[in-house]
Amino acid sequence: MSTDKNKIRNFCIVAHIDHGKSTLADRLMEMTGQVSERDMEEQLLDSMDLERERGITIKLTPVRMFYKAKDGIEYTFNLIDTPGHVDFTYEVSRSLKACEGAILIVDATQGVQAQTMANAYLAIDNDLEIMPVINKMDLASANPEATQEEIENILGIEASNAPRISAKSGLNIQDVLEGIVKNIPAPSGDENAPLKALIFDSYYDNFKGVICFVRIKDGTVKVGDRITTFMSSKEFTVTEVGVFSPKMQPTPTLSAGEVGYIAASIKSIEDTAVGDTITNADRKASEPLPGYKKALPMVFSGVFPLDGSKFNDLQDALLKLKLNDAALSIEPDNSAALGFGFRCGFLGLLHMDVIQERIEREFDLDIITTAPSVSYNVYKTDGTKLVVENPTHLPPVTEIDYMEEPIINASIFTPPDYVGPIMELCQFKRGVYKDMIYLDKTRVQLKYTLPLNEIIYDFFDQLKSRTKGYASLDYEIAGYERSDLVKLDMLLNGDICDALSIIVHKDKAYERGRQIAERLKDVIPRQMFEIPIQAAVGGKIIARETVKAYRKDVLAKCYGGDVTRKKKLLEKQKEGKKKMRSIGSVEIPSEAFIEILKTDSDNN
Amino acid sequence: MAGIYIHIPFCKSKCTYCDFASFPKEIGKMESYFACLYREIEGWGKKLTNKVFDTVYIGGGTPSIAPPNYISGVIKQIKKYYTLSDNPEITIEINPGTLNKEKVDAYKKAGINRFSIGLQTGYDEQLKRLNRIHTAKDFLLCTNMLKGENISADILIGLHEQTLEQVKKSIDLAIAGGVSHISMYALTPEVGTPIYTDYLNGELLSDDETADIYDGAREYLKEKGFDRYEVSNFAKQGYESKHNLNYWKRGEYIGLGVSASSFIDNRRFTNTSVIDEYMNAIIFNKVPEVSSETVEGTDAEFEFIMLALRTKYGIDTEVFKKNFNKDFETEYKKQLDKKEKYLEKIGNSIKIKDEYLYVQNDIILEFMKNTGDTNE
Repeated sequence: MSTDKNKIRNFCIVAHIDHGKSTLADRLMEMTGQVSERDMEEQLLDSMDLERERGITIKLTPVRMFYKAKDGIEYTFNLIDTPGHVDFTYEVSRSLKACEGAILIVDATQGVQAQTMANAYLAIDNDLEIMPVINKMDLASANPEATQEEIENILGIEASNAPRISAKSGLNIQDVLEGIVKNIPAPSGDENAPLKALIFDSYYDNFKGVICFVRIKDGTVKVGDRITTFMSSKEFTVTEVGVFSPKMQPTPTLSAGEVGYIAASIKSIEDTAVGDTITNADRKASEPLPGYKKALPMVFSGVFPLDGSKFNDLQDALLKLKLNDAALSIEPDNSAALGFGFRCGFLGLLHMDVIQERIEREFDLDIITTAPSVSYNVYKTDGTKLVVENPTHLPPVTEIDYMEEPIINASIFTPPDYVGPIMELCQFKRGVYKDMIYLDKTRVQLKYTLPLNEIIYDFFDQLKSRTKGYASLDYEIAGYERSDLVKLDMLLNGDICDALSIIVHKDKAYERGRQIAERLKDVIPRQMFEIPIQAAVGGKIIARETVKAYRKDVLAKCYGGDVTRKKKLLEKQKEGKKKMRSIGSVEIPSEAFIEILKTDSDNN
Repeated sequence: MAGIYIHIPFCKSKCTYCDFASFPKEIGKMESYFACLYREIEGWGKKLTNKVFDTVYIGGGTPSIAPPNYISGVIKQIKKYYTLSDNPEITIEINPGTLNKEKVDAYKKAGINRFSIGLQTGYDEQLKRLNRIHTAKDFLLCTNMLKGENISADILIGLHEQTLEQVKKSIDLAIAGGVSHISMYALTPEVGTPIYTDYLNGELLSDDETADIYDGAREYLKEKGFDRYEVSNFAKQGYESKHNLNYWKRGEYIGLGVSASSFIDNRRFTNTSVIDEYMNAIIFNKVPEVSSETVEGTDAEFEFIMLALRTKYGIDTEVFKKNFNKDFETEYKKQLDKKEKYLEKIGNSIKIKDEYLYVQNDIILEFMKNTGDTNE
C-alpha cells in the first residue's frame, strides 16, 4: 500500500555553510524515532568520512521519517539533505526539484550570509514554500530578533513565526516538525497516470547496478515493471524499489509524491542520467519532467598518478566518481614532466578538492595535481576561436589575436569593519566595484565583478584572513571578458616544465613568476650542477632563482668494514631517485612537485 | 694483494664522534681478549694457507694503549700462521697520548714499519671538545720518538667553528712531525655519538662550509707535495697506504678481532661488536660472525666500480675484464655516456675528474643496477 499523498511532506534544508543543516536533520530523525539516540552517529547524513571531517555536505542524502502530528495523523516526511557550498549550487537545485518546500536555517549568531541568500533565491526560483528557522539559540550571542529582521528585510520572507531552535540542544524541534506539516504543501500528482520519476541522484552498486534516487511525480512503480527513460531507448526490468530510512529499505511500490530509489540491473550510468525522467516502457508519459540545467565545469586541473604505473587505476577511480557526479569532466592528458594523466573539470575549488581527496582515500591512490586553471577563449589571428583549459595548449603568442577570460559576479557579505580590506583585496584581484548595500547595522553586501582565475588562486584564503573569517562569498559566472593574458612558463636549467605553466594576467605575471621560482628553489634538491630556475613570459625571463650545485656528496670513509654499509646507503639513495621526475636534466622528487603545485587556497 | 686487519677495541676514553667498537670500560679484559685474538689469528691462518698477505693493519680503538708485548705477540702469531710477502707493510694506529720509547722499540722490533697517528687537529681546545686525551704538543713528542719512520696523521674537518686557516695550521703541524701521509676526513656525525647532538643543533659546519675547507686544504696539501689518491687520503709519492689501496681495489682481506670485517673468496663477513660475545665464541670454538654475504654478479661489479672511483686511479678496465670477463666500456656504455661530463679516461683507466670527486655519490649511483634490471 502506498502512502496517501496528503500525508506526505517532501522538503529539503538549505542554509549557509555551518549554520546547522546536518545537525537539524539529525535531530529531526531522532525526534521521529528514525534512529535511536544510542545508534546515532554524529551527523548521520554526512556519511562520507570527508563530509564529517570537514563539516560539509557534498552529496544529496534522502531520508524518510514518520511523524505523528498534533492533529493525530501520522505523516511521512522525505528530507533531502543538500550541500551548502557555492560550488554545489547545482546539486542543491537537484534536490529542490524533488521537494515542495524548503527549511531555511539561519544562524542566530551570524544572521543572513551569502549562501543563505543564494540558496533562498534558488528555492524561490523553484517555487518552493520556504519555512525559515532560526538556529543556535543555545549560544549566548544569539540574536533572534535581528536575525528575524534580516530574513524579512534581506530575503523578503515572513519570519515572525519562524521557530527559534537549537538543533544542537534539541530546543523547539517540535515546532519545526509541526511547521513542516502546516507550511509545506503535500505533493500533487496522479498515481494512476503513466510513470514520471525524476532521477535526482544515482550511484553504482556492485551487486544491484545503478541505483536511481527518484522523486515520483506521477504513477506507480513496483518490482517487475518494465521501465525506460526519455533520454535513452533502453528498457529495464525493475528489480527493487524502496525508501531511505536512512539506509535503503525495499518497499512493494513507490507512487506519486514519494521519494525513494529504483534498481533495475542497469549496468551503465549513461542510461539513467541525473535529471532524466523514468517512465513505463509500455505506457510512456507524454513528456518528461523539466530536467536540470547541465552543470558546467569552471575549474580545471591536471590529475596525474604519483606512480606512473597506476594510470589505469586512476582512470577507474575517476570513472567511478563520475558515475554520480555529472559535473566532473575527464579528458586524457599527457605531460612531459608528469607522464600520462587526466585533465579534469570541476564546478569549483571545493569540488576539485573533494574529488582529489576522494581519489586518495576511497581508491588509495597518490596523485599529483597541477595548479587549477579556468577555461579561456582564444581568438586566433586566422579568425578561428579556441577554448583552452590547459595552459600547455595555448598557441604561440604570434597566433593569438586576443583572449577572453571568465568573469564572475561576486557577492560578499561582511560586517562593515572589513569593507576596507575586502575592497583592497578585490582591487588587487582585478575586481571591478559594482555596488555596496548596507543591509543593516552589522551587515554589508559588496558586489564586484572579478576574473574567475583570480578567485581560484588564493582568494578565499585572503578573504578569510582579512576578515577574521567573518566574510562570506557567493558567486555566479557572468560571462567572458577580453583580457590581457599571458602564459607564464617555468624553466628548469633551460627546459620548460609544462606541468608548471599557468595563464595569468600580464600585470600579475612577474609576481607569480617570482613566487613560484622561490618555492621551486626551496623544494628542488641540490644536484651535481647549478640549476637556474627561470620564470618566462614569451621569450622573456622575468624572474630567476638558482639552486646551487652540491659541494659534498660522498662517504668520507670507505674501508674494509664500510663497503656493505656504503652499498646500502647508495641503494637507498637509488630507491629515492626512482621516485624522481625528470625535467630535462633536472631531477625533482614527486613530493616536491606536490609542494609546488599546492594551491594556497583553503577552499572552503 | 691481500691484507690482514687486527682490531684492538680498547681506549682510555671515548671521543665524542667515535662509533667504532672501542670500550674504555672493558680495559680489564685486555689480557683475555688478546688470548682470544691469538686463537682467532691461528684458526684463520690454518684455513688461509694458500694465500699470500702483503699488509697488516692494527687498528682500533687505540692499539697503542696495549702493552707492547701484546702487539709484538700479534705480529709473531701472524708471521707464524700466515704467508707474508717480502717487505710487508705493517701499520699500527697510535694515539699521541699513549706512546713511549719502550713501545716504539717493541713495535719496530716486531716489524711494524708504518705509524698512523690520530692528530685530528692542532688546536688543544678543539681536541678537548672532541674528548681527545692528548694535546698538539703530544703529537710532536710522538713523532720525535718515531723520527725517520713512515708516519701518517689523521686530520678532521667540519669541526665546530673550524676555519680553513686552522686546518692549514694542523697540516703544518703534521708536516713538522715529518709525516709522509695525511688522512683528512670530514667529520661524519653518527647517530648515538655525543657529537650527533651538536650536529642536530647546527653547531657543526655545514656541508658547504666543510667542502670549502676541503677544497682549500686539498690545494694546500698539493702545494706541500701531498697528492690526493683517494677521497680522504693524501700522500707524498710512494707513501700511499698499501693496506687501504687493497680495499679500494677490492682485494681480499681477513679481519680479526671484535667487529672486524673480512672479504675472502667472494664472501663479506663481520664479527660481532660485543666483546664478550666475541670472546665466548672463540673460547667455545664457535664462529663470531654476525653477518655474512656472498657477493656475485652485478653486485660484485658495482663494488669494484664504487671502490675504484674513490681513487685517483679510477677503474682499470684491464683489471675489470680480468675480474669479470666483460668489457667495462661496452657493458656500461649508457652510464658512461650519461655521466660523461664528470669522468675522464686516461689510458686503461676511467676516473672521476678531480673537481667532482667530492660529489661522487650521484655518479656512482648511475652504475648501480636496479634489481631485476637486464643489461639493455
